Amino acid sequence: MGNVPRTPAGKETPTDASGPANPAAPGPPVPPAAGAAGVEPDARFTFANERTFLAWIRTALALVAAGLAVVQLLPPFHGIHWGRHAIGIPLILLGAVVAVFSYIEWDANQRALQRGDPPRQSRLPRLLAVIVGLVALAAAVLALISG
Amino acid sequence: MSRAGSGADDPGLARARTRLAWTRTTLSFAAIGGILLKRDLAAGFVILALSALVWGLGRLAGVPGRAGGRRCRLLVIALAVTGVSAVALAMALFGPQTSGLHP
Repeated sequence: MGNVPRTPAGKETPTDASGPANPAAPGPPVPPAAGAAGVEPDARFTFANERTFLAWIRTALALVAAGLAVVQLLPPFHGIHWGRHAIGIPLILLGAVVAVFSYIEWDANQRALQRGDPPRQSRLPRLLAVIVGLVALAAAVLALISG
Repeated sequence: MSRAGSGADDPGLARARTRLAWTRTTLSFAAIGGILLKRDLAAGFVILALSALVWGLGRLAGVPGRAGGRRCRLLVIALAVTGVSAVALAMALFGPQTSGLHP
């Protein structure tokens, strides 16, 4: 984006007011005017929102694969027969939650774009970080206990 | 898309990057399907079939159309991943207990 004008603070500034009406126009994407409910936003915003959704979907699939791999492929913890399930099942459930929430967030962001509002703050990164951190902690404790 | 990547009709290559994202998602589905094939043939085939569905839906990405079509496509993907999670959960809870991989 070398040709994009920037503010002194380093933020990109839209210069092409034809963005929402003409998605094929070159230049930086321009959000639709505030209050223009139901107007299809700039195609670049729509695509970016879709790519974010797909990235979360791949994250969800990775969580499911990791959870299944823990249950099926990890050697059992010595003396703790439920240890693998305690690590793997939360990851599988988290994968389902991430898939559902990623769609809800995509929908909310798409509606915000149509209204000309900024996209809302995603809660998925915090949820993911907390649960993966807890699962990692549990895995460390189980590994220490089982010797 | 015959002119994918040309700056005139795809500013910022947004459409091309979105198609690549769909391809990566398809490969993720196929990888999980391939892994499950070794454990449960039926579940593996179902998820491989889902990856074909994702590939087909990804081909529609970038095609101008109604917003409702996009909403429906993405809902199908989200539900498919939820279904994969349910299959994985069933395999984890009720599948055969293995001794894991030993070095």
